[in-house]
Amino acid sequence: MAAQVAQQLLNLATLGAIYALIAVGFSLLFGVLNIIHFSHADVALTAPFLALAIVPALAGALGGAPFQAGFALAALLAIVATGFLGGILYAGIIRRFRNAPAMMALVATVALGIVLRELIRHLFPNGSNPHAIPRLVTGSVDLFGTAVPLFNLVAIAVSVLCVGGLFLVLGRTRLGLHIRAVSQDRDAARLMAISPERIFRLTFFIASAIGAVGGLFFAGYAGIVRFDFSVDVGLIGFSAAVAGGLGSMPGAIIGSLLIAGIDTLVQATVPNGASYRLVFVFLLVIAVLVFRPSGLLGRTVVEKV
Amino acid sequence: MSAPTILEGQGLTMRFGGLMAMAEVDFTLRKGEILGIIGPNGAGKSTLLNIVTGLYKPSSGAVRLAGERIDGLPAHRIVAMGIARTFQSSRLFGDLSVLDNVVIGRHALMKSGLLDAILRRGRAQAELNDAAERAAALLKAVSRDLYAQRHRPAAELPQADRRRLEIARALASEPRVLLLDEPSSGMDDADTDALMADIRAICAARPDLALMIIEHDMRLVAALPHRVLVLDYGQKLADGPYEEVRKIPRVQEAYLGRKAAQHARA
Amino acid sequence: MSASNPASNLTPADVAAPVVAAPRAIALVAAIELAGALFLRQFLLAEDWRVVVAMLALFGAALVAMQRRPALEARIEAAFADQARLAALLGLAIVLAFPFVLEKSTYALHLLVLAQLYAVLALALNFQLGSANIPNFATGASYGIGAYASALLAVNWDVSFWLALPAAAVVATVFGFLLGVPSMRTRDSYLALVTIAFGVVIHQLLNNLEFTGGPNGLVGIPAPELFGHSFASPLVILGYDLPAQANFYYLSALLVGIAILFARRVHDSRVGLAWNALRADELAARCQGINATWYKVLAFAVDAFLAGFAGTIYAFYVGFISPDNFTFLVSVTIMTMVIAGGMDNTLGVIVGAFLLTLLPEKLRAFSDYRILFFGVTVIAFLMIRPQGLFPQRLRRYGA
Repeated sequence: MAAQVAQQLLNLATLGAIYALIAVGFSLLFGVLNIIHFSHADVALTAPFLALAIVPALAGALGGAPFQAGFALAALLAIVATGFLGGILYAGIIRRFRNAPAMMALVATVALGIVLRELIRHLFPNGSNPHAIPRLVTGSVDLFGTAVPLFNLVAIAVSVLCVGGLFLVLGRTRLGLHIRAVSQDRDAARLMAISPERIFRLTFFIASAIGAVGGLFFAGYAGIVRFDFSVDVGLIGFSAAVAGGLGSMPGAIIGSLLIAGIDTLVQATVPNGASYRLVFVFLLVIAVLVFRPSGLLGRTVVEKV
Repeated sequence: MSAPTILEGQGLTMRFGGLMAMAEVDFTLRKGEILGIIGPNGAGKSTLLNIVTGLYKPSSGAVRLAGERIDGLPAHRIVAMGIARTFQSSRLFGDLSVLDNVVIGRHALMKSGLLDAILRRGRAQAELNDAAERAAALLKAVSRDLYAQRHRPAAELPQADRRRLEIARALASEPRVLLLDEPSSGMDDADTDALMADIRAICAARPDLALMIIEHDMRLVAALPHRVLVLDYGQKLADGPYEEVRKIPRVQEAYLGRKAAQHARA
Repeated sequence: MSASNPASNLTPADVAAPVVAAPRAIALVAAIELAGALFLRQFLLAEDWRVVVAMLALFGAALVAMQRRPALEARIEAAFADQARLAALLGLAIVLAFPFVLEKSTYALHLLVLAQLYAVLALALNFQLGSANIPNFATGASYGIGAYASALLAVNWDVSFWLALPAAAVVATVFGFLLGVPSMRTRDSYLALVTIAFGVVIHQLLNNLEFTGGPNGLVGIPAPELFGHSFASPLVILGYDLPAQANFYYLSALLVGIAILFARRVHDSRVGLAWNALRADELAARCQGINATWYKVLAFAVDAFLAGFAGTIYAFYVGFISPDNFTFLVSVTIMTMVIAGGMDNTLGVIVGAFLLTLLPEKLRAFSDYRILFFGVTVIAFLMIRPQGLFPQRLRRYGA
C-alpha cells in the first residue's frame, strides 16, 4: 500500500513537473505580452520531432558514439531550435496580434497551432503515426524500498532547475529586470532605452525553449510522440497557468501540481478513471475559477476608476 | 439652505486589505445643492464616489438616498434609484454612436427585455425610438455641437465634447443626484469656462438636481459649489462654503499649500 | 421615427454618407445579390481545384478592393440600406430557387445544409462574442447537447422530430444557464478557460457515458416527416425532382431566417445596446444601470438555445452522431467564423460561416493538406482584414 502511494506520488511529481515546464511559458508570455499564446504547446512539442530529425544527421558526425549520447545532443539542439522557432513565430505572426482584441489573438494562435501540427504531420516522415522516443536515462534506484525510475527523477530535477533558473533570470539579472520593466510599463521601459520588441522576442525564446524541455520529457514519459499530442498538453498547460493565475510563475507551478494531482488521484482511485480523468481535471479547473476568479495566485485586479 | 436632504453618508469607512482609504466620513447633500469635494491626490475623493455609486461596498457606515439605505446595493440598482455619475478618465462606449451612448444612459428607464424584442417588436421598438428621441433632445439641450455629431462614433470626439457627452449620458437616466469626477481634468481655461456654463445651465433647468463635483481647478471650486468638503488621508478636514473653508489653516496646509508648492515646482 | 423628429434633419454626418439614386441603388443591390448567388453556385459546383483557388483569389481581390476604397464599401452599404425591402425579398427568392440551379448535385446541397447550420451556430455565438465580447468556447458543446438530447428522445422514445426540436433547445438552454453561472464571476482569459473546460467536460462525458453510446455515438436517428412526406425521400416541387437533401436545405434555411430575424430584432433593442455597452466598457455599463451579470448569463442562454436547434437538425439530417462531431475544435471554428466574418455584423457572420465550412470541403483536392490550408487561410484573413470581412455598423434610428 505504502509502496503504491509512493509510486503515485512519484507519478504526480513527474507529471506536475512536466506540465509546469509548459505552464510557466503560458504564464510568462501572458505576463509580459498580455497575450494568450495558444499554440505554445504546439511549439513545445515540435522539440521531440526536431530531436528525432537531428539524430540521423548527427550519427555521421559522432561516428560510433552510442545512440543515447547522440539523442542527448540532438535534444539540446532541438531545445535551442524550438526557442528560435518561438521567436520567429512571434516576429512573423503573433506580433501583429499583440494589440488586437484578446479573443482575436486567441483564435489566431489556435489557428497557428493547427498549422504547426499539420506541418509536422506533412513534413516529418510518417508524420501521422506515433514515433518512439527513447528515454535518455533508464534504470532505477532504490528509494525507501521502492524502485524509482531514474527517468522520473531526472525529469523532476531538470524541471526544478529550469524553472528555478527562470526565477533567477527574472529576479536577479539585468535581462530579468528589463523583462519585468517591459511587462509593467512598455512606454516607460522604452524611455529607459529598453527595446520592448527585443524583450518580447527574447521572452518568446525563453518560454519556447523551456516548453521544449517539457515537450521532450512529455514524449519521453509517454515513450512516444504524435503530432496531435500538443492539443491535450496545450489544454492542460493553459489550464494550469490560468488556474494558478496568469502571469504568476508560482501559480503556474501550483496549478500544474494540482492538475497532475487530480489526474493521478482519479486514475488511481476511480474505476475506469483513465477515461474520466479529463472530466475531473476540468471540473476542478471550473471550481477553482468559480472560487478564485483570477486564479489561485492571480492578482485580483481592482479596476481603477 | 433648507431644502430637504437627498443623499447622506454616515461614518463611511473603507479598508483595502491593510490600507485605510476612508475613515468615518460623514456628508450630506440637499436637493438642488452643489457640493464640491476637494483634497490632494489619494485623499479618498474617488473612493467616496465609488462607495456612493455602488462600485465599492463600504467596510462600515451607511449611505442613504432620500432616507433609504443604498450602500451594498449593486451599481446598476443604484443608477435606477437616481444616482448617475461621470468618470475622471472618460469612459464612453467608444465604438457606439454618440446618440447610442445617451440612449444607453436611459437603460434603467426602459423595460423591454429579450422576449419583448423578439416577440413584441412593435412595443420594444416604440420604447427605443422614444428613448432615442429624448436622447436626441437632451443632446441638443446640452450642446448643439454634440447634437450635430450624434451619428459619429463617440471615440472620435474631441476631449471637451467627450466630457460633455459623459454628462449628457449621465443626465439621460434622469437622476436625482449627479456625481462628476474631475469634469475639468485635461481642459484649458476656455473649455473649463464652457463647462461651468454648461453645469449652470443644467442646474437651472433642473432645480431639484443635486450635484457632487470632485475638482482640482480652484476657479471652478470657487465659483460653482454652494459648499465644499475637504478630504485628506481619507478623513474629513472641513465642510462649508469655499470662502470659509479656504481660511482654515489645516486646509491650506494640507491642500492649497501643497498644491501651490506643486505648481511652483512644475 | 416620424418625419418631425429632429434626427431627420441633415447634419454633417448625414451629408458625408453617400446618396445613391433609387434606380442605381436597385441595380446595385440586384447585381450584387445575383453575382453573389452565381459565385456561390460556381464555387459549389467547381470540381477543378484550380477553379476553386481562382475563385478564392477573386474573393480576396474584392476584399482588398473594399479595404483600399472605403467609398466603394460605403456606397454599397447605402444602397442596401435604401433598398432594404428589395434586398430581403430578392434574397429570399434566391434562397428558395437555389436548389433548382445546382444540377441536382447532392454534394452541393449537402454542403449548403452544413454551411447553413454553421451559419446558425455562428449567429448564435455572435450574440455573445460579437455583441457583448464574451468568449465562449463551448458553442460546439451546446450544439452537441442539442443533437444528443433530440437523438436520445427519438431513438429511445420515438419522439417525433417536431417535438424533439423544441425539447432539445430547452435542454441546451438549461446547459447554457449552467455554463453562464460559473462564468459570471470570471472575465477575459479566465472566462475563456471556463468555457473551454465546460466544452471538454461535455465532450468527454459524451465519449464515456453508457447511454450516449460512448465513442460510437448514436445511430438510427429516423428522418423527420411532415404531412406524410419523409425527409429521406426526394422533394418534388412543381414536377421538379430535388434530391432528398433539399428537404434539409429548406429546413436549415428556415432556421437561418429565424436566426437572422432574432439577430436583427435583438441588435436593434435595449438588450442589444446593453450587450454593446458591456463590450465597450463593463464598468461604465454597470454605471448606466445595466445588470452585467444578468446580461452575461442571458447571452450564454441565447447562444445555447439557437445552437440546440442547429444540433437537432444536424442529428436528424445525418442520422448518426458521435462525440467527435462536437469537439473543442468545432467551437474554435465557430469562434473563427464570427471573428473572421465580422463581429456583430449579421451578414459578415453568415459569410464567415459559409466560407469556413465550404473552404475545407472544396479543398478536398488537396485532400491531406486542406486542414493546413484552412489554418493558413484563417491567419491570413485575420492579418489582412483584422476587423473581419464586414465590420459592425453604427445604429441609425429611423434613418
